[in-house]
Amino acid sequence: MAETHSLQDLRQAAVTSKVFVQRDYTSGTICKFQTKFPAELESRMDKQQFEETIQTLNNLYAEAEKLGGRSYLEGCLACLTAYTIFLCMETHYEKVLKKIAKYIQEQNEKIYAPLGLLLTDPIERGLRVVEITIFEDRSIGSR
Amino acid sequence: MPVGLSVDGALGYPSPSRPFRPSRYVPVSAATAFLVGASTLFLCFTCPWLAERFSSSIPLYNVVVFLFTLANFCMATFMDPGIFPRAEEDEDKEDDFRAPLYKTVEVRGIQVRMKWCSTCRFYRPPRCSHCSVCDNCVEEFDHHCPWVNNCIGRRNYRYFFLFLLSLTTHIMNVFGFSLLYILHHTKHLDQVDSGVTMAVMCVSGLFFVPVAGLTGFHIVLVARGRTTNEQVTGKFRGGVNPFTHGCLKNIAHVLCGSQAPRYLGRLRKPHSVEVQPPFLRPPLSEAQLEAKAVDNGIQQSKSSLEIMESQSTDADPPPPPKPEHRYPGMPHTQNEECSLLTEAPPTPSLYKYRPSYSSPGKNHTASTHSSKMSRGNSMTESPSVPVTTGQPSYRSDPSLSSRGGAGCRGGGEGGKAGSGGLGGASTFGGRSYPSFTDTLLQSAAASCSSSLRSAHTAHNALGPLISEGTTSTSYKSLANQTRNGSLSYESLLTHSESPEFESAAHELSPPRPHPPHSLSTAAGAPPISGYTSPFLSAQQREGSLQACPAPLRPSPNRAFLRPTSSPPSRAPPLSPRARSLGSPPPGPAPGHTPLGKSLSYAGGAELQHRPSSSGGGTPMQNNTVSFFLQPMATLLSLEFLYTPSIFLFFFLLCSLSLRSSAFFCPPLLLPCGHKDDSVSVLSSTIKQNVANHNTPSHKPVGGVKKVTGVGGTTYGISV
Repeated sequence: MAETHSLQDLRQAAVTSKVFVQRDYTSGTICKFQTKFPAELESRMDKQQFEETIQTLNNLYAEAEKLGGRSYLEGCLACLTAYTIFLCMETHYEKVLKKIAKYIQEQNEKIYAPLGLLLTDPIERGLRVVEITIFEDRSIGSR
Repeated sequence: MPVGLSVDGALGYPSPSRPFRPSRYVPVSAATAFLVGASTLFLCFTCPWLAERFSSSIPLYNVVVFLFTLANFCMATFMDPGIFPRAEEDEDKEDDFRAPLYKTVEVRGIQVRMKWCSTCRFYRPPRCSHCSVCDNCVEEFDHHCPWVNNCIGRRNYRYFFLFLLSLTTHIMNVFGFSLLYILHHTKHLDQVDSGVTMAVMCVSGLFFVPVAGLTGFHIVLVARGRTTNEQVTGKFRGGVNPFTHGCLKNIAHVLCGSQAPRYLGRLRKPHSVEVQPPFLRPPLSEAQLEAKAVDNGIQQSKSSLEIMESQSTDADPPPPPKPEHRYPGMPHTQNEECSLLTEAPPTPSLYKYRPSYSSPGKNHTASTHSSKMSRGNSMTESPSVPVTTGQPSYRSDPSLSSRGGAGCRGGGEGGKAGSGGLGGASTFGGRSYPSFTDTLLQSAAASCSSSLRSAHTAHNALGPLISEGTTSTSYKSLANQTRNGSLSYESLLTHSESPEFESAAHELSPPRPHPPHSLSTAAGAPPISGYTSPFLSAQQREGSLQACPAPLRPSPNRAFLRPTSSPPSRAPPLSPRARSLGSPPPGPAPGHTPLGKSLSYAGGAELQHRPSSSGGGTPMQNNTVSFFLQPMATLLSLEFLYTPSIFLFFFLLCSLSLRSSAFFCPPLLLPCGHKDDSVSVLSSTIKQNVANHNTPSHKPVGGVKKVTGVGGTTYGISV
């Protein structure tokens, strides 16, 4: 990892720190992240924007975990085919995860990268945290 | 840090530190052999006659049920149960080595503790537990099933449940149709077909009882929205389960929920976004700037400091930022020097409750043993150095002064600075490890140990610390495999990790971190709602432990002996945490029956059902089965469990246990919302049926607002 970072330094800004937005368990074990604005980002970005991003992510995860007709049909089909359907078909959750990955990339490109921040897809951390990497801003001051 | 890349649970290759254990594959092989073998024999020898005599749909039906059973068995065996990947190092910085062992979160109004997992390096989400057999934290951990050689967790619980249902059905079918065959061939019993059918009938009859028992147990669990882990550790004893959504919704969640994604083995896409300066900045309001100036700078990053410097209005130099030493190429050395020069003396390692980072997948035994030995030594030899080396940091830990607990986060400025200084001292290679060669740290740790010890004796919660090191090894060899909360049968022998550790830590330290400024208030402050008296769980444990044979029963004073993954050199800072973490290990908890699935689940299930209303009657059921089976449990170690003779033994014991848990059926009729009535029936009948040999001191929890289970999760109940 150290090597990767040093290589990236040549192309990208250096990483200053990382902020971790934790899960919000107040509604149970459903996947939901805290919308509380971290102190480290106060100077880097707009609070509203951050909350909007997290809220959208929460809505997407809620959609993924929804107990609806779709998930029920998927389960029935899986049972009937002795679960071989999983070899060919993508589950509903996986489809939403792809949507989420796309959304995060979009957010990174449009909003976060220009601010010197980078969102990491929480699935890489086991849906435990949303990692926001803060990049060093060399353009201001000597530090 | 190598993230486990095993895509499949049971097929995952063991990590380098975990030796290949062929004995682990014996039960799953036996289960497969029996299932496939008996079913094939039935289909080949019995079904032709059935098709001819009655209808060809009978064999077809049996084949369908068999295939369904097999499919669910394979899914339960090979599917990733929901393993969390190890947290990466940089995630640790937020929870540095002074962070508490537990974090409390509120789940639907109920306080639930999240425990720090030293192996996986994160706070375990609610319902997550670390399986020592698999050496992984598993989401919504149910248990580790040796019959499928896999953990049962969020992702594969449905398949496991369906496997049990279908297997019960299949066994009933096979037994029934075999019986039909035999009844029609009473004069031809010497034929091969009859002989085989009789053998199949015997096998299916033998397996029916434990499998049906386990199935019934899980039906109740699903209806109540609990996991096996929560049930057998008594987390919801006395009442409120924050994870239940009602009977129907619980069932729907298990059977109709969408398939959860796996976390391991995912292709990690590299970021395609380039982040290059210059960066945009949002305009800062004056209020924000003023707030920054007043802020003690704990959460400041370098960039916010830059703004402060240019517009600083306060006379004091801003405190240094949190140590951010994980990224090479950063001028972190400047920060280290600043922090060392401008800060108060470093915080004593009073707050080091968690072991710092060590290489993953360590063999716990050697390191923990040596670390415990050294901790034991340091405790005995600790000089009487005053603890308050840093005034702010001391102030920031009111719990320490009031209870000697090691559960608080050092949130004070001095604490943070100390952390920065100490953390900075050891940042090489871009990784911030606490400096264990730091003599100041070691002496501070030693002083902490002595102060903690003196604080703890008041609670009578600690026994002779000297005996720790010497006596821990004998226990550890027993608990080696099952240290971390696995609910395999070995661990049921010795109890899963999290419950007793949590309850012991409960006993020793307050789980709630207090804010730094509230020393005066927090020192005598009443526990926050949802937090129970640690002594309740300690007494419960004491009582249950008395029922256990000596070799298995650890002294409660081994509260400190939490196995950790830290290397020996890091011993000194770990002493406070060791105390808070280490709890008496696994003497069987109340109602624990370490033998056989049906015994443990059926017996345990019923004996754990103790509503608050029948609180007074509960002590007896706690230990009835465990009393009978405890001596047996010592015999039935890992190797014994998997010999064929055990199956017969199980059968006999099942009948024994089923006599006591004979009223298992009523809850099936009223699984939801009537638990109090059905369980009080159970408790009274069990009382009548089983002699009361032990009365552990189990305090009734009815009418009390704060409730804790043995598992340590605290619940606030409004009476």
